[in-house]
Amino acid sequence: MAAIDSVKKRSGKWGAITAAALALPGVMSAQAEEPPEKGVIALKYLHYRDSQTNHTIYPGYDGSEGSSLNRIRVNSPSVYLLVPTSHWSLEVSGVVDQVSGATPRYYSDVSGATKSPGGMKDERKAGDVKVTRYMDRGSVGVGLAYSTEHDYRSTAVSLEGRYASLDKNTTWNIGLAGTSDTINPVNQIVVGERKRTVELTAGVTQALSTNDLAQLSLTYSGGRGYYDDPYKLFDHRPRTRNEAIGMLRWNHHFDAPDATLRSSYRFYNDSFGIHAHTVEAAWVQPVTSFLTITPSVRYYSQNSASFYYDPVTDASVYPGPLGTPAYSSTDQRLSAFGAASVGLKGEIQFGRWSTDLKVEQYVQRSEWRLGGKGTPGIDPFSATTVQLGLSAKF
Amino acid sequence: MIHRRYISALCALVASLAGCASPQPWEKGVLAKEAMTMGGDTLEQRFNQHILASKEAASGGSGVGGGGCGCN
Repeated sequence: MAAIDSVKKRSGKWGAITAAALALPGVMSAQAEEPPEKGVIALKYLHYRDSQTNHTIYPGYDGSEGSSLNRIRVNSPSVYLLVPTSHWSLEVSGVVDQVSGATPRYYSDVSGATKSPGGMKDERKAGDVKVTRYMDRGSVGVGLAYSTEHDYRSTAVSLEGRYASLDKNTTWNIGLAGTSDTINPVNQIVVGERKRTVELTAGVTQALSTNDLAQLSLTYSGGRGYYDDPYKLFDHRPRTRNEAIGMLRWNHHFDAPDATLRSSYRFYNDSFGIHAHTVEAAWVQPVTSFLTITPSVRYYSQNSASFYYDPVTDASVYPGPLGTPAYSSTDQRLSAFGAASVGLKGEIQFGRWSTDLKVEQYVQRSEWRLGGKGTPGIDPFSATTVQLGLSAKF
Repeated sequence: MIHRRYISALCALVASLAGCASPQPWEKGVLAKEAMTMGGDTLEQRFNQHILASKEAASGGSGVGGGGCGCN
């Protein structure tokens, strides 16, 4: 109410109207500085499955084993709880990832992948808690996240602050986070390796018009420690990784169809030599008073890491590199490629209850890289995700 | 250095947008709609970010504080 009193004093004849408007539920700043009006409990179940048909003939491998190996499958139940009070909010979430299947040990050649029935199996448990204190025009939040699986443990702490302009059309935010990871691969190629990351982000959210909200975020991340993938051959990466990310989001509401276009662009650059561009768009279309449909598209493109090397055709060298480079990798995720995904989400609301179903298809191809020149010798990769959710407000 | 040019361009774009006609408090009904907020479905966003971070080299940019994973 202090903000309302302030407006009354400054605004003269408009004071009463302004104060009344500010008191309306939902009349908010560019990015919420008020505690949420209602609590939320949400459950979501994810099913993920990926695949990669072998077309490439590698030295000593004709791709015939591909169909006998199941690629990665993940089933993940998760829960989220938001509890608001007058000046505080508490958020708690938890997830269990049940992972099974096989991944290539080099390129998309699965001949070296785990051949035990069902491939590898792992279970990751993760949880986080965040407490936020709300003030007149700002908020401060502290978060703690923890994740553990049989060969990897991660702990992260974060601090975030938001501050809004007097008219609440502009909100600035700043965030700082530190992550400490411990890596103990089952093949014991290393023991008790560590990785530490510090991340700093700053952003501004601006209400551009009655129907437009835009946000710019800049993030810098500095990491030191073990970045190798211990389950891939000839994988040796620098022990330092610095990342710079710029992200622009833009939400626009179209009055006639009563729909919202949510769009974003992200530029990414890191000290591994990777530049990546990502564009996303989702169209949120209420169909009836209780049904909302949201189709979405995403395009992503990256170049390869400076130490990634293409398959060597000499069978006596493959899958190793030529010579003895200081750093090397055959991880297809560090190769040059483009990726596209399409998704469709349907959400049904009944009073304070809602349920949703989202299906998304993702495809990665070398030739889809921006400009068309991707890494040779990598087969197309695809993944399907299905998410089923149920939530209630209280 | 190319990333500095991109990020400078993004900054300049948003700085110029800040000069647009801003809505008055009583005109913010549409901005308050759930679909217009920068947040969204928390669990869905986390799943998406986690999956994509395990399949692509680039990740992050939409907030701080998430923990890491093996994701091999």
